[in-house]
Amino acid sequence: MSDSNQTDDKLPVYNELAAMQNLGSLDYCRIFTALLSGSTAGILGLTGLYGFIFFFVANGVLGLFVLQKYSLHYQQYFKQCYIIFSHGLFGSLLTYILFWTFLYGLVHVY
Amino acid sequence: MTELLLDPNIRTWVFVPIVVITFFIGIIRHYVSILLSSQKKVEVQQIKDTQALLRSRLLRENGKYIPKSAFLMRKHYFNDKEAGVLKLAQDRAAPAAANPMQDPNTLQDMLKGNLVNVLPMIAVGGWINWIFSGFVTTKVPFPLTWRFKDMLQRGINLPSLDPSWVSSASWYFLNVFGLRQIYSLVLGADNAADQTKFMEDQVSVSGAPTDPRAAFKSEWEALELFEHQYALKGIEEALLLADKPALKSRKKNT
Repeated sequence: MSDSNQTDDKLPVYNELAAMQNLGSLDYCRIFTALLSGSTAGILGLTGLYGFIFFFVANGVLGLFVLQKYSLHYQQYFKQCYIIFSHGLFGSLLTYILFWTFLYGLVHVY
Repeated sequence: MTELLLDPNIRTWVFVPIVVITFFIGIIRHYVSILLSSQKKVEVQQIKDTQALLRSRLLRENGKYIPKSAFLMRKHYFNDKEAGVLKLAQDRAAPAAANPMQDPNTLQDMLKGNLVNVLPMIAVGGWINWIFSGFVTTKVPFPLTWRFKDMLQRGINLPSLDPSWVSSASWYFLNVFGLRQIYSLVLGADNAADQTKFMEDQVSVSGAPTDPRAAFKSEWEALELFEHQYALKGIEEALLLADKPALKSRKKNT
């Protein structure tokens, strides 16, 4: 997973391919988060604003997990810190809404 | 807010089937497009051009790892005034613009693309509309404004119904868009299950063929302007003269 070497002088060196790979696996995690948190929100019966807040909280937790995994070395894997929290966030929102609606429909509407 | 009581049979025979059908049609689309895909024919010259551009780009990206003399040697190969690869390519006559309509292979590919993408989209969308028409299937768990009513309640004529209730046709579209990412989870990142991607492809096909000379010119300029800076300066000393911290950090990173 290692993709960048922080050399001693001020020349940050990135391997584009590996960086893309990292973002790809981050996307993977995010889809899973959307899937699971959407199902959870649906089963809990969250409605309206609470559901959206739950989505952002779940993604924040995911970001914290990723940060915890790399502790202080996250700069070796991602260019900026906020990427861990924001990359592909709104793409996965649709998936979240789908599963939220699906489980909400199954549990609470019928 | 009005509360509706929906028949559980609607769940069993409309709500869940739509999800399952949408999902499996995506999977089938993926495999059919693999089945029908044909190897694209390319000219030797075209491959040569792309490879030359790619190598020049790599040189710009990773040139900092090689000494200055080596870098200049490679730059000379690309950018020399008389014999540089990029320079020669710029002076080459423009290729005759190929008309995609005259190439039978392109036509065949387009036909296949239509067969795999457009046809199922119309057929399945229409079929779902026809079979499951007129059901109120579910309710989205967030409030919506009345403007969404036309969009989400297609096929239901209930003027006073809250807009969060969703008809079967709209539930299908919600699925189509929501399942996009699930396909990338199930089938891998480069899958053909996503029908919305196809429309983007179609737009790019109709665009004018790009002139390779322009690409060579911009690459030549970029390489000309690139300033070589050796990133491994003093690496031997760091290695030999027990420069422990530097050595350690380098070891960890490789």
